Amino acid sequence: MPAELASTPPTQIQDPARHRSLQLLGILCGFTAGAWLGAAEAPTKLVAIGVSPIVISLIMVIGVFLARWSLPALVLGTSSVRADVRRAPHLIIWALLAGCLWAVANTLTIFAIRDIGLSIAFPLWNSNSLLGIFWGFLFFNELRQAGWRRWAGVLGGALVMCVGATVLAIASASQGPSPHSLNGVWAALGAGVLWGTMYIPYRKAYLTGMNPLSFVTFFTFGELGMMTALAFGYIGVSTLWHVLVQARSVIFWLMLGGFIWVIGDLFQQYAAKYVGISRGIPLSNTNQLWGLLWGIFVFGELHGKSHTTYMEVIGGSLLMMLGVGAIALSSATGKEQQHWKEAAQREGQRYGVAADYVAARFEGRQAAGETLPSRSGLDWLLVAAASAVLVLFAAMARVPQFSFRWGPALALTAVLLLLLFLCGRKLWRTTRFH
Amino acid sequence: MERSSTDKPTRSRVASIFTDIHFWVPAAVLLGGLLLLRFIH
Repeated sequence: MPAELASTPPTQIQDPARHRSLQLLGILCGFTAGAWLGAAEAPTKLVAIGVSPIVISLIMVIGVFLARWSLPALVLGTSSVRADVRRAPHLIIWALLAGCLWAVANTLTIFAIRDIGLSIAFPLWNSNSLLGIFWGFLFFNELRQAGWRRWAGVLGGALVMCVGATVLAIASASQGPSPHSLNGVWAALGAGVLWGTMYIPYRKAYLTGMNPLSFVTFFTFGELGMMTALAFGYIGVSTLWHVLVQARSVIFWLMLGGFIWVIGDLFQQYAAKYVGISRGIPLSNTNQLWGLLWGIFVFGELHGKSHTTYMEVIGGSLLMMLGVGAIALSSATGKEQQHWKEAAQREGQRYGVAADYVAARFEGRQAAGETLPSRSGLDWLLVAAASAVLVLFAAMARVPQFSFRWGPALALTAVLLLLLFLCGRKLWRTTRFH
Repeated sequence: MERSSTDKPTRSRVASIFTDIHFWVPAAVLLGGLLLLRFIH
């Protein structure tokens, strides 16, 4: 059998029009991911009480956990998750690893912001996109035979976005450095390395054919498990419980932030699948731009600031959009796609995953003989349980006194829903969410 | 039907995982991240 597999030629690109469609879909997913990931910051801005950053992160991760199980159950059903795991069970290890990496990186960013402020910390951890490009090239054949124009588009676009992000971070920063600034620099750099490396498991899973909706259900165990261990380790069980009881009136807002974040992350996963990590990560890093839009227009964060600050915001935003445009126009060519397929075939051979399954999922299709996903009573139970938990905490929630502008909030929400509808519809029509 | 279409791996799955550099790079980075967190906390 291994000999037969080895002799199988690399899957050929059957339909160039379909590959163009998948590339466009990946770019749209990356852009939509940025919008939703940025919007996830909005509910957390309602939380102005003195809760420990680790507790804030833990509560958000609990919201994330609820969303990561209920959304896949709602979209495709858990039968689809089980079928994926039977085909590629080894990927559970990588999903757990990726979840642990995310949790540690997120905690490091909290310390980085505390010690050196957002303006210095953000550009340092935003380097994750450059590391993602490196891992994508080294391990998964991304940008191989891509030509200097595409290299310049992806690498140049990512660098321009880093500069734009730095300018935005400087404009929106409200905090000076602390005496622990060297620790903060290490924390921010560490977070960038962890997040950049987290995309190795993502790409491995999607090259092998696993559905993003399946991957995230296991990813979240690593995420919640590691975050809980960190909270227990650094705060202690009894203190943590005491803080959670005291913070019950704001738990809903943090969980809602986590829930919105998952929607963005799902699109990020599809972007990583269809345009690779070298392009998908920078595109979804536009979340900073969207977060700033919410901050400026809905929460009035730059109200009364100098003309220079506004110019920095406009300049930084234009740079980020320029970078996004460069990356979006550098989609993979047929030659590069062939290298991706060779990497996918290598993974299939190593772990004994059926070649027809890998090839079909690579093109966003179901494999022949694969049963159609369907929802069961268990799926509806999961959705109902997640909704009940959110409703319970919503009933306890208190709306804090906050400067909030409804007009821009409704406009930005309308844009989010429009992107969700357009991208969701294209995902469904093109791939049936595979 | 679905299981029958899964090809037999070239060696045991556990051995494949623990000899895969895609496993060791994220694992090493995770360990480094945890040590860094302990150091700066």
